[in-house]
Amino acid sequence: MPEKGKISPRQAGELMFITTTSAAILLMPAITAEAAGRDAWLSVMAGTMSGFVPLAIITWLSSRHPGRTLFQYCEDILGRIPGKAVALSFVWFFLHVNAIIVRQFGDFLATAFLPETPLSVFNFSLVLLAALATHYGLETIARANEFIILLVVSSLLTIVTLSVVHWDPRTFFPIMAEGAGPVFRGALLPAYFSGQIITLAVILPYLTRPGQGVFSGAAALLGTVIILTTGVIAVQAVFGPEFTAAMRFPIHLFVRTINIGDVLTRFEPLVMVTWVAGVFVKASVFYYCAALGLAQVFGLGEYRPLVLSLGVIIAAFSITLFADVTELTFFLARVGPFYGYLYSLGLPLLLLAVSLIRGLLAGRQEEKQDG
Amino acid sequence: MNNAFLALARKLGKKIKPPGKFSGGKEEKKREEKVREKYDPGGSLRERLDQVKERLGESSDVVVRQFASGNGRVRVAVVFIDGLVDKKIIHDHIIRPIQSERLTGKASELNRSNALETLQQHLTSGGELWVAPDLTQALKRVLSGDTALLIDGEIKILVFGTRFWQGRMVDEPATEAAVRGPREGFTETIRVNTSLLRRRIHHEKLRFETMKAGRRTGTDIMLVYIDDVVNRRVLEEVRRRVAAIDTDSILESGYIEEFIEDSPWSMFPQIEHTERADKAAAAILEGRVVILTDNTPFALIVPTSFFQFIQASEDYYERPFVGFALRLLRLFVLNVALMFPAIYVAVVSFHQEMLPTPLLLSIAATREGVPFPAVGEALLMEGTFEVLREAGVRLPKTVGQAISIVGGLIVGDAAIRAGIVSPAMVIVVSATAISTFAIPAFNASIALRLLRFPLLILAGIMGLYGVIFGLLIMLLHLASLQSFGVPYLSPLVHGTYDDIMKTFARPPWWMSIKRPRLLATSDPRRQSATVHTRPAPGYERELFHDAAEDNSDAGKR
Repeated sequence: MPEKGKISPRQAGELMFITTTSAAILLMPAITAEAAGRDAWLSVMAGTMSGFVPLAIITWLSSRHPGRTLFQYCEDILGRIPGKAVALSFVWFFLHVNAIIVRQFGDFLATAFLPETPLSVFNFSLVLLAALATHYGLETIARANEFIILLVVSSLLTIVTLSVVHWDPRTFFPIMAEGAGPVFRGALLPAYFSGQIITLAVILPYLTRPGQGVFSGAAALLGTVIILTTGVIAVQAVFGPEFTAAMRFPIHLFVRTINIGDVLTRFEPLVMVTWVAGVFVKASVFYYCAALGLAQVFGLGEYRPLVLSLGVIIAAFSITLFADVTELTFFLARVGPFYGYLYSLGLPLLLLAVSLIRGLLAGRQEEKQDG
Repeated sequence: MNNAFLALARKLGKKIKPPGKFSGGKEEKKREEKVREKYDPGGSLRERLDQVKERLGESSDVVVRQFASGNGRVRVAVVFIDGLVDKKIIHDHIIRPIQSERLTGKASELNRSNALETLQQHLTSGGELWVAPDLTQALKRVLSGDTALLIDGEIKILVFGTRFWQGRMVDEPATEAAVRGPREGFTETIRVNTSLLRRRIHHEKLRFETMKAGRRTGTDIMLVYIDDVVNRRVLEEVRRRVAAIDTDSILESGYIEEFIEDSPWSMFPQIEHTERADKAAAAILEGRVVILTDNTPFALIVPTSFFQFIQASEDYYERPFVGFALRLLRLFVLNVALMFPAIYVAVVSFHQEMLPTPLLLSIAATREGVPFPAVGEALLMEGTFEVLREAGVRLPKTVGQAISIVGGLIVGDAAIRAGIVSPAMVIVVSATAISTFAIPAFNASIALRLLRFPLLILAGIMGLYGVIFGLLIMLLHLASLQSFGVPYLSPLVHGTYDDIMKTFARPPWWMSIKRPRLLATSDPRRQSATVHTRPAPGYERELFHDAAEDNSDAGKR
């Protein structure tokens, strides 16, 4: 067993919450506003809710294969060679998504805070941090996250509360003027982010009470729905849908509008701290999943030797995958969702179907033998 | 390992002689006899005193006094170390009864054959008495301050408990002063310390478990715990780790701390130490194990979590609100001590737009003409301050003041006037310095003081992002630490709401129902329920009103 630590269901829920929330909050308002206009908040709500489908699938799979991670039951279900291939493609997915996360992180910091610093500084330092976290293991990531989640939630709530004075409710009406089409199109990206709950399939066996994983996942998704919808509503209520769509990181600009008596101004550091800490946890979770997956696919007893080499791959990818921020945003808006559904919905569904059919067949055979 | 080896041998059907003292072999006996011949030559007093001389050497504090019993039939000798014994006990209760014939009738019956029993049962009157089987055992006790009574012709040796030495009085702890609360601190004598704890916890389940460590120092170590509160696994683990210490010297509890802590390469102290008897008692009552070490007033407390370092025992004696406010203050101060200079440097050099314009202007004005970048200035000032502090600590008090005046006032003032550093930086550095002193635990504040420097450098390179980068590394490291099975960041890390509140808010005593959950104590409840004695029904009224009404009634009648 490459992982010996155990985390509590609560810690797992908090990890999932940060994984599905932290990167989304910064980029999503602009992209959903572009697709869904006034109804962006509906898109976000619906899209994030859709995460319950993959959650149901992976917890069902996990209950059929107790004590096995995603990578292990791939082999159990599909057989040795095809199973390993599918598990490897999951490892690839985690690596690739991680590179995208790291790229988002670097782009935001390089655009908004330290424009003269090269992108690679941010990317490499985040990969270094995540590598360290992965080296320490799941327990440490979960513990550090318990501190970070306080920071993320409280700072988001603070800035949303302080912005209430600028809210203009008229930007939301009329609701669904162009029908459900734009809402559906806008929901693609939120669904992609909430589909990242697939990482729960990897850490589920390491819960102290794996049976409660469903509730941790559900609580995490509910929290994500609330936080993301609140964030999008707040941004839109202040800027209106057109202006929101035109910006790259609306939350960042949104924070600049806060001004309470000329004293409480300049909350950007708070956003940066939140963003860095949240994305760090998210990157660590994906990094961990990739490293653990690779170790399990190849039957290694320890994943730690893989950590550094994976880090090099992630860091290199994060630089070379996209030429600039526009390309990244385009990928996230048009390609990313479908790519994500393949892994968060398609493959798990396939696994579940095969597993169920195999179960049925095995049941029949037993009946035959009995009869 | 031996057992496993034996089991294997048995399996193979071979006969292997079991080693150790269980052997009945002839060789073993011969060897024992040889040893006995060497060290206990027949029990002759003269030869054995020679033996004592050979083993202890010509040390001036070793006292050997030979004398005969009252009737002259038995020769005996006492051996003790001057300075470790109470001479009055030796004189009044050992030497005099043996020498004097008149004390009891039994003295006349004393002869060589019944010497040991008669002396043990009837003649001497020491409080503690052991019968040592040989000289080695007896000398071990003599070196701890007991007195050996050697009897001519007898192999066994009587050892009397006569330990007494000049120690420091129980005094107010110098490192942990308190405005309210007991003023008794531990001393260097372990027996005094156990009495301080026993006086605070009169319960029959309070246990003092003695262990020894240090091959040459032979230091006494005591594990103190309440038997039906402590978690057995924690206790086992502490025992195992302390027993595994293999060194020749233990001079301070710091040695033990380093031997038994979970992550020896961490910057952060993972074991709390205290000089206050009440703090140690509170820890024991919480279900922790206290480790007392002879010759040092500092007791260790395990398991430890990070937030214990921002708690002072006084929080629990003052009103709850005061405790709450002080803890919040310390938490704030902890952050200031760690990152204030780093944040200042980051903001001044990279994120000037974050400051309100008037503040930015005044800082910019003071920085005018300063030749260094902010990070260099900060490193210079912080370094100077550390030098000043170190110089002040090691010097005698009278000179120390001169250092702080010359160093702090004159040099600081001159440096600002000369335009080498900016006044804003001086403010930042002094605020940080004061903050480090406001953290109750010295070992924790040292760790933070040291970590300030890497943060400063990161801030100078990458601004606020660098600071966050450094803080996240620290957070990861802290999250990875454990102290005897308890997460170092607990109860912030999967603690209950109750535990978190207790850490930051210090609820009133009548609300503190449970012990910390993460210690997994065998008796998790402190009290049955929330009990706060309120006025009994009928007693809510003012005494004065009661009295006045009685009088008016009397008037009506």
